Amino acid sequence: MSTFNLKIIACDRVFYDGECKMIIFPAYDGEMAVMAHHEQMTASVEIGEIKYKLVDDTWHSAVVSDGLITVDNNTVTLLVYSCEKPEEIDEFRARAAMERAQEQLSAKQSIMEYHVSRASLSRAMARLKEAGKYTAK
Amino acid sequence: MASAKEIQNRIKSIQDTMKITRAMYMMSSMKLRRAKQKLEDTEPYFFGLQKQIANILYHFPDIKHIFFDNREKDMLEVVKRKAFIVITSDKGMAGAYNHNMFKATEELCSQAQDYKLFVVGEIGRHYFRMKNLPVVDDFNFSAINPSIHRARVITERIVELYKNEELDEVYLVYTKMVNSMKEEVMIDRLLPLKTHSFIEQELLEEAKKKRGNIVGDVNEQFGDKSYDDESSSYDFDYNSSADIDYLIYPSPKKILKKLVYNYMTGFVYGALVEANASEENARMMAMQAATDNASAMLHDLSIQYNRVRQAAITQEITEVIGGAKALKKKKKKQRR
Repeated sequence: MSTFNLKIIACDRVFYDGECKMIIFPAYDGEMAVMAHHEQMTASVEIGEIKYKLVDDTWHSAVVSDGLITVDNNTVTLLVYSCEKPEEIDEFRARAAMERAQEQLSAKQSIMEYHVSRASLSRAMARLKEAGKYTAK
Repeated sequence: MASAKEIQNRIKSIQDTMKITRAMYMMSSMKLRRAKQKLEDTEPYFFGLQKQIANILYHFPDIKHIFFDNREKDMLEVVKRKAFIVITSDKGMAGAYNHNMFKATEELCSQAQDYKLFVVGEIGRHYFRMKNLPVVDDFNFSAINPSIHRARVITERIVELYKNEELDEVYLVYTKMVNSMKEEVMIDRLLPLKTHSFIEQELLEEAKKKRGNIVGDVNEQFGDKSYDDESSSYDFDYNSSADIDYLIYPSPKKILKKLVYNYMTGFVYGALVEANASEENARMMAMQAATDNASAMLHDLSIQYNRVRQAAITQEITEVIGGAKALKKKKKKQRR
């Protein structure tokens, strides 16, 4: 199985840079997978979980917040605000963030604030979901 | 001349001040290192974003959107409502850092007709309000410890206003650290985005500046075509096969919207971090200068103090000798 070069770049670090066999990411209307020699593409990435298979056939997962993915010349670049491994997630912090966002959502606020708190709520929920999976194992 | 006691008090107070400036210097240098690290960490993300935006524009050169200033409506507007996002610091004692910012902003304001100021940092807010410039009231963000969340909130706010057409142009005014000795005020346009032809033009100009060695690269990147005739620069993009094959999911408009938010957030974050680093650097330099001045003053004062002390001793000795002499004379007189 041929491989491609995968770069996952979050805003505070380069999360992963190396060879990869397949990547699955949450797209606009469901999950999408990219394998080697994919055609040129740019797609939006939603908040959720990504899975990628490395050269040694192990699957890895991570939680991403929204961003974009670009496929060009057998190189896949995933640009997201944040990217974390499930074991890195601070469950308490995520829960606190979720509660805060829910509280803010229920309060009367402007459209703009609504957008911000809804985005933080979905981020917190994605994190919690992933962290829950990890601790359950 | 001041008395020895007075000079001693002065020396002590200067020593205390020096302790503070030295401590602030240390703190600033630590914060500077952290800010520099942050800047380095965010660089790959930022460059990646720029590449993506260039990529989209390359494949869809004549996309018409509110985020570009190329709609017919935009052409008809005579007065552009401008917004300046000005990044200043929360506290002073940073040399000319804030003053350079004020000067640049005031110059911008004097050129613009209709504008609003979005000020980050307490010092700037106070200053511009005092000058009666149109500072937006409920835009209270602090300049210390820049976070991606803060950048996101700022972006959301600005883009919202922009989409409601309350603003036509958004500029970001911040300080960039060229090197540890030099800082520069940067004025960058955030919105509307630069269109493909504009970026092309810029690249070309840059290439001309560097002459020769880069021109090949630019041509390669944009499909090896001479740029002397501007009219043709759009055509070849449309004929190139890349467009038809290029998959944009779910749609160029959606992607562009997302990209604009991400790009703006990235840019604002980058600027916040850059400004933070410059501020700490300016403060570090100011504190270094203050410490140097204090030690120079201490040097002068200690000489003065020694002189005064010596003078006092000399005077005392003279008095003692004078007294002794007078006594001797008296005794001689009595013997006669």
